[in-house]
Amino acid sequence: MVKDKATVVVVGGGATGVGILRDLSMRGIDALLIEKLDMVNGASSRYHGLLHSGARYAVRDQEAAKECIEENTILRRIGKSCVEAISGMFVQVEGDDPDFVDPWVKGCAESGIKTREMSKEEALRLEPNLSRKLVRAFEVPDGAIDGFRMSWQNVLSAARYGGRYKTYTELIKINVEGGAVKSITVRDNVTKEEYDIECEILVNAAGPWAGKVAQMAGLDCSVSPSKGTLIAFNQRISNRVVNRLRKPSNGDIFVPHGSITILGTSSITIPDPEDTSTSWDEVEELMKTGEGVFEHLRDYRILRVFAGSRPLYVPKGADGGRNASRGFVTLDHEKEDGLKGMMTICGGKFTTYRLMAEKFCDVLAPKLGNTAKCRTAEEDLVPAVSEADKKAARQYFPSYGVNLAATRLGTDKFPEVVKTLKENPETREVLCECENVTMAEVMRIAQEPTSHSVADVRRRTRLGMGTCQGNYCAIRSAAIANKLFKDKLEGCGDSLSDMKNFLQARWKGITPVMAGKTLREAEMTRGMYEVLFNVNGGRR
Amino acid sequence: MELEERARDSADNCIACTSCVAVCPVTKANPDYRGPKLVGPAHNRMHFSDESDYEDSLKLCSNCKNCDITCPNGVSVATLNMLERAKYYKAHPEKHTQADQMLSHNFQMADMLKSIPFGRSCANLGMSIGEAMGMMGAMGIAPQRKSPRFATKYFRELYKEIKQPEGLTKEVLFFPGCFIDVNDPEVGVAFVKVMNANGYKVLMDDRFKCCGSPLVVGGYLDEARSHADSNVAVINEYAAKNIPVIACCTSCSLMLKAEYTELFAQEEMAQAAKNVYDAFEFLTILADQGELKKVQVSSDKKFIYHAPCHLRAQGMGMPAVDLLKEIGVNIDSADAGCCGMSGSYGFHKENYETSMKIGSELFDKINASGAHKVVCDCGTCREQIKHGTNAKTTHPIQVLAKAYEQ
Repeated sequence: MVKDKATVVVVGGGATGVGILRDLSMRGIDALLIEKLDMVNGASSRYHGLLHSGARYAVRDQEAAKECIEENTILRRIGKSCVEAISGMFVQVEGDDPDFVDPWVKGCAESGIKTREMSKEEALRLEPNLSRKLVRAFEVPDGAIDGFRMSWQNVLSAARYGGRYKTYTELIKINVEGGAVKSITVRDNVTKEEYDIECEILVNAAGPWAGKVAQMAGLDCSVSPSKGTLIAFNQRISNRVVNRLRKPSNGDIFVPHGSITILGTSSITIPDPEDTSTSWDEVEELMKTGEGVFEHLRDYRILRVFAGSRPLYVPKGADGGRNASRGFVTLDHEKEDGLKGMMTICGGKFTTYRLMAEKFCDVLAPKLGNTAKCRTAEEDLVPAVSEADKKAARQYFPSYGVNLAATRLGTDKFPEVVKTLKENPETREVLCECENVTMAEVMRIAQEPTSHSVADVRRRTRLGMGTCQGNYCAIRSAAIANKLFKDKLEGCGDSLSDMKNFLQARWKGITPVMAGKTLREAEMTRGMYEVLFNVNGGRR
Repeated sequence: MELEERARDSADNCIACTSCVAVCPVTKANPDYRGPKLVGPAHNRMHFSDESDYEDSLKLCSNCKNCDITCPNGVSVATLNMLERAKYYKAHPEKHTQADQMLSHNFQMADMLKSIPFGRSCANLGMSIGEAMGMMGAMGIAPQRKSPRFATKYFRELYKEIKQPEGLTKEVLFFPGCFIDVNDPEVGVAFVKVMNANGYKVLMDDRFKCCGSPLVVGGYLDEARSHADSNVAVINEYAAKNIPVIACCTSCSLMLKAEYTELFAQEEMAQAAKNVYDAFEFLTILADQGELKKVQVSSDKKFIYHAPCHLRAQGMGMPAVDLLKEIGVNIDSADAGCCGMSGSYGFHKENYETSMKIGSELFDKINASGAHKVVCDCGTCREQIKHGTNAKTTHPIQVLAKAYEQ
């Protein structure tokens, strides 16, 4: 049954998909994005959160390096509410190949990336936790970017231009008639309802799942999902991105990301993009390499470990893994395979998501007779909450909480939350004490039509993503979920199972690193939920 | 050599179990205080978000260390709070009040008064007049309180007049601390008597400065560091000669034994800590070795003992009350938690109410005990007890010295 239609349907709510949705919407093209789970559930949130300066690619792939520095500059300008405008360092430690430095410096210069060598003393003063085996250090304009916020801000920006989005809506069939895509069949993963959406062009932006989507149309698109494993530490080990100055390999990059630090990554070719499992061996490999940069790394507490799949595009006969290009490809299936109304975008990097969308839409738009120019680099993703509003809100928020909430909530929801905090002092209670999330913010995000579970709220608030990994906020938010999700939960269970799912997702990242300080925390969780609350034992 | 960044490391040890919030006497008495966990370890992670922001309730922490005592993971929660406070005052030096300045720098005042003829008597008279006229409140000091008076002779002066017996071969170095030195020198005199009776000569070293505890809680961390460096150098000098350093004030001994290293993470501080003892800790060691002078008390006058938080934070039980019981003193521990004074905390006007609320359990127990005197190792705890109960107070070393006189 046809229930909806759109000129363009974009499949995949990752960085690539949301970039395209925004670009198309700003060109005035009617576009709808569908995502089988919650927004930003795949590779776009399972990565470093690094806003590349391009320096990492300066030796091997200068084209990518140039793209990175240009996009880095643009995103720092348009993405003030999702980019942490910090800088980065490349450090060489004893034992690293000294001959790598000169070509790297030259490569950066040729790519337009500013580097500045600093003395060992300056480097250690700026980042006192760096290894004393430091040999040389360079400053580069690396930054940090929050995948969750960036993606949502793109979606909200698109929505202002008429762009639409549906989460928990999974593509199950592509309906082809007379050599052209006519419609798609989707399943609502909350209500389990299946229905058709008519479209003129179907965009496959499913990232590592792009091969699977192509198969539904009987096409072959060789995506090689490459798993990257990352470790999140409990606090900022440095205030700058720290890269190892050597030929790019595993465990080279530390990104301070909000309250935490992310170390990664590995690169393992895997058959199934759903595989986000991690193992002690992968962690150990990353830790061993990471110790080269921060020698006391093992003293720092690991919060969790997680993995995502890069959607590496592998032209036939080429290698996958670390040697595969980080570039992207636009496939017009009309040209390639004789199927009208379907295009695939594959590969690429988070940092260049906007440019990818621009180039892709430059091909797509003329097919619809649209000649509008790309404007995504000209306008801020979201307007920033004013300093005056933030200042006025300070009295209701926990300390260090205003800026974070303002960038998460944006100009429309922030004043609403402030109003709730003001009128109802009870909602000033900090539900998540590790990440400073108030009850008012959780309640507001829970009311969003896209929120179906506490996990959905987590991705938009950072609830449960700090030190205690959900110990205290799981039970508190379950109480709120019981109130607010009552209707929605009928499709997916009750608030108890929602709470258990929420905790289970936390456990997934904790179990591979269950040792030392992380184990102590885990034991407390177990004591609270299994022993005290008996969440697994009680039978009615 | 610098140790690893201890404080950072210890924030990582926090499992957010919230035990510290449950036992925090300030949180219990004043709901405005968000609790040790949030103010220390939790906020340590959040500074990136807004450098100009700060936690308003940080100033409410009394540094009593009950959080440290209860923490199952050995996090120095209170020290993390003090480091936060120091950071705040470094960025906002103008926020220091007159009371912060005075209460943190009592040692300067004490030195100055000593150099002026009749300085101390005049200052004491001035304090009486000031208190009577309600001037203390204007300076930010709780007007309800009577400030401790300056002794007409400090311990460092009395010490020179004491004739210690000839021929004592063993030596200890006394760290008097400000309160005993300038406010309550009789405790020092009693200490010398006890040590002499046990065959030890008591040495003094004029290079010792205030331990720095009042500076730390006032947010004057750089000054505290310079005191720490100079005291640690002296302690290590004596350590090299196998001369232990002994303090009768449990806040001083905690500072020398633990807080220096927690705050400043220097190897030589950790080294010095091994050579510092609380007086009764030292005497207990002597007793265990069978070297303590034997004495038995016959009077059954009842005492009640208050264990200072900073003694409990040293994790060595209650050596004073154990030892006094052993020699027959009729003494029981009040077991009533924090007295609420916490050094200079309760002297601040804005903390007065919290301080008295915290102490109320102890006051009630003392009043109901029928004891003729309250025994406590800490000078400011004794001030609080006097203020909250009108009871007579004494240092346990004075009780022991008296027992030796019999």
